[in-house]
Amino acid sequence: MTPTGDGAVCAALAADPVLASYYADFRGKTEAALDPALVALVRQAVAAVHGMGSAPDESGLDDGTRLCLAYARRMPFEHTAITDAEAAAVAAHLGEAGFVAFTVLAALADAECRAEIVDLPGLATTE
Amino acid sequence: MSTAPRVSSAIAGEPPHFGSVLAHQPAIARSFFALYGRLWGSDVLSARIKEVARMRNARVTECGFCRNVRFDKALGQGLGEEVVDDITDGYETSAKLTDAEKAALKFTDALIHDPELLDCDAKAALQRHLTPAQIAELGLGVTLFLALAKALITMGLEPESMDRTVLPTPAVPEAAE
Repeated sequence: MTPTGDGAVCAALAADPVLASYYADFRGKTEAALDPALVALVRQAVAAVHGMGSAPDESGLDDGTRLCLAYARRMPFEHTAITDAEAAAVAAHLGEAGFVAFTVLAALADAECRAEIVDLPGLATTE
Repeated sequence: MSTAPRVSSAIAGEPPHFGSVLAHQPAIARSFFALYGRLWGSDVLSARIKEVARMRNARVTECGFCRNVRFDKALGQGLGEEVVDDITDGYETSAKLTDAEKAALKFTDALIHDPELLDCDAKAALQRHLTPAQIAELGLGVTLFLALAKALITMGLEPESMDRTVLPTPAVPEAAE
């Protein structure tokens, strides 16, 4: 299983285009606040933790990006164990505003993977 | 888990809280509050069931802020503390939660904790008690509750202590309508 392009939540909301558009806007605004390459890597790293596809190849990445990915991988199952030092390191790399967007993205990516794993779109479809 | 804010407030004179921290990203903030207001303003799925799911998420993710906030719309629909007290492990045997709420709770647990909980019986119960549109709205709600709780926790915005606080149910900001 790999994450769908627009996410399981958007797919599940197909019958409510207004609410779907609000959700898509929030998702889009969050992604637009960060480098598109980082967005893709974070989504891939979080999905890999959930067993949805392979982890990103980090061999060509800079230290700051690796730091971000290590942090993002903690979001699915270890969010309460993230330390002040880990958060400070990511915030120093991305800046405070970037850290806010990154945190929302990583948390949303985790939740969207979970929605996909329980097949939210299938549950919300009339048979 | 840290209760020291890891991000400053972006609103002069206000302490760090979710809104003032999210203000570092105004476009995200506007979009989130419009979405959250739209979700809570919709009556496709009752505010009471949404709140039941939000309370369960708060307990499982250990979000102290979420756990102590109550939205007034759900209170008006009869979600008193005697019912909230049953949104804990063993909720399946509660006499105060409805069957629809128990089905929603099983779905919530599956999404935020263990997908194996959503077995054939649990899926059948969910689809028996909720329409597809209601399930979609519940899925959106639980996705946002989970992401919001984890964002609050990882940004160090958990309160050291907090009394139970009834807040107005989120509504779409006028500028976003």
